[in-house]
Amino acid sequence: MDFREPAHWADIRAEAQQFVADHVTHEMIAEELKTGDGVSRPLMRALGNRGWIVPTWPKDEGGAGLDAFDASVLMSTIRASGAPTIGPGTTTLPANAIRTLGSAELQAAILPDVAAGETLICLGYTEPEGGSDIFACKTRAERDGDQWRINGQKMFTTFAHRADYCFLLTRTDPQSVGPAGLTMFLVPMATAGIEFQAVRTLGYERTNIVYYSDVWVDDSFRIGEADGGLAVIRAALEAEQNVAPTSRTSQLAEAATRWASTTRTSDGRLVIDDPLHRQRLARLAIDAEVTELLGLRTAYIDQLGGKPGPLAALFGPETYVSWASEMLDMVGPDGLVPWTEPDAALDGAFEYHYRSAVATTIYGGTSEVLRSLIAEQRLGLPRSRPKH
Amino acid sequence: MDLALTDEQRAVRQAFAAVFAKESAPPRVREVEAVGFDPQLWSTVHGMGAIDVGIPLAWGGGGGGLLELCLIAEEAGRRVAPIPFAGSAAAARLCVEVGAGDLVASILDGSQLVSMTTRQLAFSNQLLADGAVADVMLALEGDRLVANYRPVGIRTKPNLGGLPAARWEPDHQEELAAGPEAVYAYERACDAVRLLRAAELVGLAAEAIEIGASYARERRAFGTPIGTFQAVAHPLADAVTANDGAQLLVYKAAWALEENLPVGPRLATMAFVFAAEVSSSAAQHSLHIHGGYGFTEEYDIQLYYRRAKAWVTAVGDPKRELLTLADRLFGPVE
Repeated sequence: MDFREPAHWADIRAEAQQFVADHVTHEMIAEELKTGDGVSRPLMRALGNRGWIVPTWPKDEGGAGLDAFDASVLMSTIRASGAPTIGPGTTTLPANAIRTLGSAELQAAILPDVAAGETLICLGYTEPEGGSDIFACKTRAERDGDQWRINGQKMFTTFAHRADYCFLLTRTDPQSVGPAGLTMFLVPMATAGIEFQAVRTLGYERTNIVYYSDVWVDDSFRIGEADGGLAVIRAALEAEQNVAPTSRTSQLAEAATRWASTTRTSDGRLVIDDPLHRQRLARLAIDAEVTELLGLRTAYIDQLGGKPGPLAALFGPETYVSWASEMLDMVGPDGLVPWTEPDAALDGAFEYHYRSAVATTIYGGTSEVLRSLIAEQRLGLPRSRPKH
Repeated sequence: MDLALTDEQRAVRQAFAAVFAKESAPPRVREVEAVGFDPQLWSTVHGMGAIDVGIPLAWGGGGGGLLELCLIAEEAGRRVAPIPFAGSAAAARLCVEVGAGDLVASILDGSQLVSMTTRQLAFSNQLLADGAVADVMLALEGDRLVANYRPVGIRTKPNLGGLPAARWEPDHQEELAAGPEAVYAYERACDAVRLLRAAELVGLAAEAIEIGASYARERRAFGTPIGTFQAVAHPLADAVTANDGAQLLVYKAAWALEENLPVGPRLATMAFVFAAEVSSSAAQHSLHIHGGYGFTEEYDIQLYYRRAKAWVTAVGDPKRELLTLADRLFGPVE
């Protein structure tokens, strides 16, 4: 075993930091905090220029030819800058599904523009009554010659109002229930009949409800077989749950330690010299290290072609939420002030973490769903959710 | 970056896993519980090189390292093996470190069992976790590293964890080293004890989780296996997730200590604190899954539940270790 970082990771980080210095401006971050869109088109193009929208794809497909490890080092460095990466990051999930399961025609039409940072694809899975039960999908697609007519409603479609396409889950067999009879489409968002309604979140992110009313889509935008959407969405969901998590436990640990090492209490002592806070920060450092190690192993198993399961996706976000809360206890009232105020502790970092952490245990599979998957896959326990 | 074990390491793990499964099955563990030690098992694993592997080739050992010892410790923990592995494996390396050639020779030929204490109390005041079976207990007195020889006629003190624990005044004492280098070597050895203990706890927790999961797969209530209840299944998923993290921490700490990296000691402390928490809650939940049966002596989970606590308490207080970790991470208090 060798846990030493490969020497070239330092180069990758330096390159990523140079990219951040060149392309991620204060205005861009402030704009993102205001809009919560998770999208900056100039940033996407700059990433695309470097092959960094899809860094693991070969260079001749517009990627950077990196392995999963290198790509994860690269992207986590860029993410840590606060740059809006949710849009392009999410786009890679349907893009990978199209790359393996889409028609040659669709691949040629979509993938080069995705890689170049010109195309943004949002996810249309969840419905108002569905939640984690995405196979309760009621959005209908009916075939009419070479066209499909789509009617329905999707919930939590983040950046739908900025996207070029939606990777949409529909029910095509009206007699079917559950995971059968579903079909995936790539729906151009400019099509008539699509309307959005903004949904503000408590974590500085905007998401949307999207209504589809008699939306006509050409059959060439179908991904996979008609009524065979399960294979397509399963590939995309597994990719989402098996990627190294985006938990910011380590970022929080670093920020909190920095704050405690530079802030004095009323008696003049450094916060970090108080045994209570030392214990807290040391314990947080353990969870941060474990989060990194589980993420590392996820990338490692992924690299070998295995399925690591959603362990890292469970542990990282869960610890992030509980420490975001406990760090506010440590910082006290100053931590409650948001980034917009000049006197916010550490530029509002603690208020921000508390607000945004809670979403990380929900999107990409709630912790409850992930625990069920782990119980079934790792421990051979019987399925706990009712079958459709 | 390579997270895989070598072929040799896998072979070591498999060989010890097989022996512990066969010779440290629950009936045997129960049989020797009052003594806390199985001399036959000790002789078998000693003969397989369990202690030698951590000693350099130049000293007549197997020339392996901490990682190999951690793999053996994990397998011992999985079967709650009644042998004082963590203390004696670390003590053997400490003897090498300070050049105690006679002790090393007696460890290798099996004529003496040498262990060590990690508690900084006056020697005769402390309950020595391996005291009933160790012929020699290494300890630090001020800045002197000493070998304390056990008097004859010492019996195991009854205790929660089936440890071969005892309290005694040394029959005689020998100074092995003194000064800052002795203190440094002793402190590194304490890190090794806690790391090996963490590895044992990872194995213990893995088996406790499996015992709970297997019960949840079989046992039926309200017309369905109880594993279908999320209140039963989900804490097991949390436990297996955290225990994977503890195992990775153990391996990384073993690697870092072996490479003499500055992060080694802090990772060892992290591994101990985290494995202590994880194994305790895993054993607790697995016991609870058994309902009333879990509270009976008959079910094996109680063997794990008691040791999950005793194995930690024997070598350190996790909350105090957090303060040690803080010193190692943030530097000492101004």
